[in-house]
Amino acid sequence: MTSSAPFRRFAFAFGTTFALLYVVALAKDLALFTVFPSLGIVLAGTHHSRDVADPAMGFLAPAIYWYGWAASAAVGALGFGLAAVVLPVRWIRTFSWSGWVWLVPAFSMIACVYLTLPWFRL
Amino acid sequence: MGARNSSSKQEGVVYGSEVLATALLIIHGLIAVALLGAITHQTLAAWASADARPASFLGRFRSVPTAPFADAVVVLYTVSTLLGGIIYLYFRVDVRPELERAGHWHVLGFFDLKEHFAAIGLALLPAYWVCWRRPLAKEPAQTRTALTSILAFIIWWGFLSGHVANNIMGFGS
Repeated sequence: MTSSAPFRRFAFAFGTTFALLYVVALAKDLALFTVFPSLGIVLAGTHHSRDVADPAMGFLAPAIYWYGWAASAAVGALGFGLAAVVLPVRWIRTFSWSGWVWLVPAFSMIACVYLTLPWFRL
Repeated sequence: MGARNSSSKQEGVVYGSEVLATALLIIHGLIAVALLGAITHQTLAAWASADARPASFLGRFRSVPTAPFADAVVVLYTVSTLLGGIIYLYFRVDVRPELERAGHWHVLGFFDLKEHFAAIGLALLPAYWVCWRRPLAKEPAQTRTALTSILAFIIWWGFLSGHVANNIMGFGS
């Protein structure tokens, strides 16, 4: 049980901060990398087809940002998760309410709905 | 002659790629069905009242130990998301442009939400697993129930939106 305590701290911190950071990555378009599947290339950072080609030709090089947003959030959340393991428990007691682990993701999902609303206005 | 050989080889590669995508999609769907069953059972058992009559439907439902379901949910969710991540490459190139051309904006919106929710759900799996398999005595059951409910919502959303997208313009259409 003792050995599971650090893992518990990691799991709760990781899940909570990932949800938060994912929304930030989505809202600010912060993809760690961009995948162009039809071209078979992966570029570091966020790259829009319209940045490198005529907007009318964008359909020839569809870009995937989802992997990059998730990777950005995962890297950040990994940092917070490891910090939760390494830092003394008394330092992180303020954030140790177990409810954050479901409340933050629930609000993040609502934020994702808000950020996706433009699709429903077309 | 050489050009014709090269062209037929290219067609073969495209056909093979389509078959692979369809096979992966079917496996993804089957895993999703198993995942739906496990998470729905666990969620209903978590919400069911503890004082339900043992002979009632809810009572019998609750009497099945649901904690071991957590292992299955973690494995199935992870595999399903990984497969979904691979299929997404085909979806982005072959299916989504067609949906855009056909003006299925609502479907694309629902599918985008599926992606976002799936990523958030994947990151919640360690906490979910800890809550079910290494629960603390002082920890409120509310955390476990809420996490399970969020995952159940994500899984149902993903299943339905993926199913609708596939029905409108699945692979091979």
